[in-house]
Amino acid sequence: MEKNNKIMAITIGIICFILVLTIFVQFKTVEETDISGIERMQETELKEALSQWKQKYEEANEKLEDTNEKIKEYSNQEQDKTKTSNLLQEELKNANMILGKTDVEGEGIEIIVSDGYKVEVNGNRAEQNVVAKDLVNLVNELKKAGAEAISINDQRVVNMTDIVDIGNNYILVNSQNVSNPYTIKAIGEKTYLQSALGIKNGYVDQMAASGKNVTVEAKRNIKILKYEAKTDKNKMQFKYIKEK
Amino acid sequence: MVIIAIIIGCLVGILVGMNTPIIPYSMSGYLAISIIAALDSVFGGINSSIKGNFDLKIFVSGFFVNAILSILLTYLGERLNVDIYLAAIVVFVGRMFNNLGYIRRHYIEKWISRKNKEEKNTNEKGV
Repeated sequence: MEKNNKIMAITIGIICFILVLTIFVQFKTVEETDISGIERMQETELKEALSQWKQKYEEANEKLEDTNEKIKEYSNQEQDKTKTSNLLQEELKNANMILGKTDVEGEGIEIIVSDGYKVEVNGNRAEQNVVAKDLVNLVNELKKAGAEAISINDQRVVNMTDIVDIGNNYILVNSQNVSNPYTIKAIGEKTYLQSALGIKNGYVDQMAASGKNVTVEAKRNIKILKYEAKTDKNKMQFKYIKEK
Repeated sequence: MVIIAIIIGCLVGILVGMNTPIIPYSMSGYLAISIIAALDSVFGGINSSIKGNFDLKIFVSGFFVNAILSILLTYLGERLNVDIYLAAIVVFVGRMFNNLGYIRRHYIEKWISRKNKEEKNTNEKGV
């Protein structure tokens, strides 16, 4: 009976041990496993989650494609913009050059016109002053010969330039006084300009005949300053004309 | 003696259980069902010892065989895609409640009868 009791006690003790052991192992397992983890999910849940993720992935992919397309579009537009801005810049530069708002240089000729005298029949010397008309003629000749930029004593000749006489000694160019001697610079094909002035009975001959001094010199590099408005009148601000 | 063995077994079980590594989660379902089966056996054992027909062999064999059978059934259910472990839990837990009910009734009856006796004694003494 004593032996049976012992066996029973040991057996029950072992059983208790096993039971409690497994219970605690289970506790620990449940505690330490992430409840929302994938391992815990059942097959159906996994399937659902997978399909959801797939859908999300597809949506994200679509968005990505959309965004990529947009980026492409934007970059295209950007390129177009830079193109147009470059074009505008070019045009602006061109327009400024035409208007004479930039300093320019290039091959051309330099003409110096100065007052002279004419010996009359009776032997007297008659002073011959250079007048505005002489300069206007010269400018017209040069323009005709294809001069791209002209200046008179560093006054740039532009489309609004006026060349008028003031008294006997001064000529106004761009409303600025210029006086003898007059240095006219012109940029263009130098040989052509030179020959245009120097032809028989041309400008040089006419001036010489009237007793005024003209020298023409071809130069490889001539610098012409930009048009600078000194008075309000010459600022090229238009009050009366409107674009039609 | 048996009670001492139970206490020692439980204490050692707690100590060892605290320090063992956890098992893979896929296995824990089987372990859980086997724990339920074992608990059912334990309560059955307590119940039978109260009734006086406790047999160690039946208890031990019931403890292990029930646990193993429940694991096997659960495994089979998983292979068949039927949640057999639910049926096992229902049966085991139902039986556990039955046994607990017996145990509770037994001890309450015992307690009441003892109280009645005491009252009788005091009454007799008072007289």
